[in-house]
Amino acid sequence: MSDLRRGLTVAVAIARKDAISELRGRQAAGSTLFFAAIVLLLFGFALGPDSQRLAEAAPGLLWLAIVFGGLLTMARLHQLEADDGAFEQLALYPVDRRAIYAGKALAGAAAMLVLGGLLLPVVAILYGIPIGAAWLPLLAVVVLGAIGFAAIGTAYAGLTVRMRAREVMLPLLMLPIVAPLLLAAVKATVAALGGDPLGELGSWLQLLVAFDVIMLVVGAGTYGFLLED
Amino acid sequence: MPQTTIYVAPRLAGTLGTIPPAVATVELARLFGRSAALAGVSLTVEMGRTVALLGPNGAGKTTLLRILATAIRPSYGSLSIDGIDALRDAERVRGRVVYLSHATAHYDDLTAEENLRFAATMFGWGEREGQPVVREALATVDLLGAGERVRTFSAGMRKRLALARLLVARPSLLLLDEPHAALDAEGMALVDRLIGLWKEAGVTVMIASHQAERVSSLADATVRLEGGLLAEVSGVGAAAGPVGASQRRGIAVVGLDR
Repeated sequence: MSDLRRGLTVAVAIARKDAISELRGRQAAGSTLFFAAIVLLLFGFALGPDSQRLAEAAPGLLWLAIVFGGLLTMARLHQLEADDGAFEQLALYPVDRRAIYAGKALAGAAAMLVLGGLLLPVVAILYGIPIGAAWLPLLAVVVLGAIGFAAIGTAYAGLTVRMRAREVMLPLLMLPIVAPLLLAAVKATVAALGGDPLGELGSWLQLLVAFDVIMLVVGAGTYGFLLED
Repeated sequence: MPQTTIYVAPRLAGTLGTIPPAVATVELARLFGRSAALAGVSLTVEMGRTVALLGPNGAGKTTLLRILATAIRPSYGSLSIDGIDALRDAERVRGRVVYLSHATAHYDDLTAEENLRFAATMFGWGEREGQPVVREALATVDLLGAGERVRTFSAGMRKRLALARLLVARPSLLLLDEPHAALDAEGMALVDRLIGLWKEAGVTVMIASHQAERVSSLADATVRLEGGLLAEVSGVGAAAGPVGASQRRGIAVVGLDR
């Protein structure tokens, strides 16, 4: 088996294992979605009943809810490993550390995609914005945002999973790094929902792609060190 | 009794065709803060030997095994496994060393078979070839019919599943930390049987345990640690007592510090 094929097999096995755990531990995944939806609802209360104001703020609030929910998701995917010493065992398997990173990031991206995909209609209903016509560019933004968030989140969750104050440390370390992704995703969402009159959607998507690539390369390169004692 | 196949890593030849020792440590030390869990252990174990690691709590047994498993790095000293420098080429060493730790390292929401299939993939088995290996390992530890999630398992069942994980690996060096813990009499007998099989297959086995009599009867030699140092060595081909440098057939212990 070639190294690449072996790496892919390992990554898929890790992602599949995480997906099964997530699906069977529905309470945790459901709570995350519920939490993100509550965040959106509370933002709506905070902004008041002005429908135009809500519609203008919707893209930013959507991505803030995705980020908050994503932090919980990333922490949970690594908590699976921390329970019962599985993280140490994972580090001791004779596999390329980049494949372990790829597997965890793949699981994270899939979970983020589901989260983003489910929150989009919630935003549409709560803030009264039509997303039907813009579903394809919105899907592209959510996919790229999910990959970027998972790329960073996997690395930072790996770093903090063995810390005592991991619940605090993960957002503290991750949020500053995620800021460019948040900005690009919000701008791209605004452009997609507005029909892209200025033709800037492509540029924001390119920025998201560049961010994803950089974070995946950095994450894959550093994750192995995080697994070391 | 179900059939149990033991898979072993291919032997490595050393320089000029000699067989390198399974374990060779020089002045291995590990500090946790200011406290030395291991304070300079030099130990050589020949391939295929079974060594019992004994000593009171805090003697450094687990720390030594975790360093040998590449789970943690030593603060000082050097280490080679099957002639491979474990500090420089840990990834290659991980292909030859399998470690049973205190934690059973299972995924609670997966079944026993799913946990083991995952481990088999990580140890390099393909989907098809791994299937019978997994089923045989589960049958050996008497968990073949257990279809529920591991979350519902007792401590003994979890330990049996951890033992099954060792059976889907292909070790050259097996490190067992309290392998009899949490098991009933039948489970302990299973551990003894498996150690015997690994021994027959030529796998080097190091067992850290508080059950001195039990593991000493399984081992070729016993090594006692105290306060992070080698205190006593005895058994077949072992250097006994606090000597400066000693090397005999079977197990060689070099540089006792006491």
